[in-house]
Amino acid sequence: MTDVAVDFQGVRKEFGDVRAIDALDLEIRTGETVALLGANGAGKSTAVSLMLGILAPDAGEVRVLGEPPDRAVARGRIGVMLQDGGLMPGVSVASMLALVTSMYTTPRPVEQLLVEADLAHLASRRVDRLSGGQTQRLRFAVAVAGNPDVLVLDEPTAAMDAESRRSFWAHIRSFAADGRTVIFATHYLREADDVADRIVVLAAGRSVADGTPVQLKTVAGARTVRFTLGDESDAGLDRLPGVTAAEVHGTTAALRTVDVERTVRALLAAREQVPDLEVGGAELEDAVIALTGSSRTAPSRRFPHEGPDALPARSDDL
Amino acid sequence: MTTQPSAPSAPFARFVSAEVTRMASDTRFLVLMLGMPVGMYLLFTNLPGTSQSTGGLAPRVGAMISMAAFGAIGTALTATAPRLAQERTTGWMRQLRVLPMPGHRVVAAKVLAAMIWALPAIVLVFAAAELDHGIRLAAWRWCAIAVLLWLGTAPFAALGLLIGYLTDESSAFAVMYGVYLFLGAAGGLWIPVNALPAVLQRIARTLPSNRDAELGWSVAAAHGPSLVGAAILVAWLAAFTGAVVLVYRRATATR
Repeated sequence: MTDVAVDFQGVRKEFGDVRAIDALDLEIRTGETVALLGANGAGKSTAVSLMLGILAPDAGEVRVLGEPPDRAVARGRIGVMLQDGGLMPGVSVASMLALVTSMYTTPRPVEQLLVEADLAHLASRRVDRLSGGQTQRLRFAVAVAGNPDVLVLDEPTAAMDAESRRSFWAHIRSFAADGRTVIFATHYLREADDVADRIVVLAAGRSVADGTPVQLKTVAGARTVRFTLGDESDAGLDRLPGVTAAEVHGTTAALRTVDVERTVRALLAAREQVPDLEVGGAELEDAVIALTGSSRTAPSRRFPHEGPDALPARSDDL
Repeated sequence: MTTQPSAPSAPFARFVSAEVTRMASDTRFLVLMLGMPVGMYLLFTNLPGTSQSTGGLAPRVGAMISMAAFGAIGTALTATAPRLAQERTTGWMRQLRVLPMPGHRVVAAKVLAAMIWALPAIVLVFAAAELDHGIRLAAWRWCAIAVLLWLGTAPFAALGLLIGYLTDESSAFAVMYGVYLFLGAAGGLWIPVNALPAVLQRIARTLPSNRDAELGWSVAAAHGPSLVGAAILVAWLAAFTGAVVLVYRRATATR
């Protein structure tokens, strides 16, 4: 048993003249829950396809559980939920699961999968007549049907509503709690932050940041405290607690901080008055630019804002 | 406990049976592919002036075998091409690619499932011939004809898969149907081959549809099936299957 679940070494993958993955080195250890975070086109899906053996690298090597990805898939050691994967049309939920479990040597029992996916009452329904949420739950059941050592999820919640997401991630957490490896691609920072114990930020096919959520937030300096400096001195602002950078534009001071509360307390304690004090919302774009900014020349550096719940401002624990 | 060691053949058998059972709920498939050849047979053999003989057979026997082959080919194509195109759209083929079932087994299961549906198509035409025209053959001859016709549908199941890969969900059925009609007409299943123009006759002899029906005609006419014909069928099967396996790998390898 190897303790490296997924290993990318100097991997490159091109589509025509687009370099989707560029010199990627990535080692994911057994038992980790890792988010591959990046904008659309950052290389997440390509990385996923490479670790499943769907794509072969143009250069470098990918190994999963110490063997080529194809082989790990053939031996049933990887469970997969693809972004655009689907179910067998025209069969019942129960026969779909019976079919998939039959392909593995040590599957979960169909009854257990049905209960976990909350589909026991729909066991005889045809899979193409399920609602969107039910379909997603069945797809997850298919992914874990073989009791895999490694679970790979490509943008798993893209089609889910808020409630489905919550219960979905609860399932993932309990799956990961058994010491299994979970790797998921997402462009939702919040999901990466909430679920993963390690985040790998991809941009233009490279890993531009790699660490725990706390580490990344520290690097990114996700929030900004602004106030009007007036005639007062800006000395010492960059030494306030939590502050990673201080800038003065005209009469306005902008402090980038990883700990808004401590920064503001210290600021108020140190100054007679702090006019126009303002805390910038979770400026994710700033954070991502901080992470990816110098690493690429392509014009789009921002995470897309997709839908109301895509990248919410977090006022709590930053 | 959760471990249930399964024989290596179990997933294959399950896959074939899932493929077979879900087609039973497809009424278009059932009516068009199982009903139509019977209807055509009854029409052809009950119209005046359509009594050309095939390979020295009584017209009604020759047409029975032609229509049984035509029906079997139709079910094999319909059970594969539009299905596969649909499964590519829904993403099931992509999911299969990351499940522990190798590609060649997926292809084999789909071919086998399609062939299983070809069997009733053959039997229904035989039954109509027996009931409507009182055609009598020795039991072993019925069986031999049916089995040979049935085995001869394998290339069409593979061809259907190929069409399913080369088309998309909206065009698969139309393309498949065009190919089907061509194979039926040019293969000498509607009009006996020797009634076709000389050029078409030469083409007909290379087509798997003609060679499939020929297996049955030969047995009914009491001379053994032609080895050239069998070889041509095997060649088509190999060509279509090879192409399918190639496209299967390529189709799942693109983003």
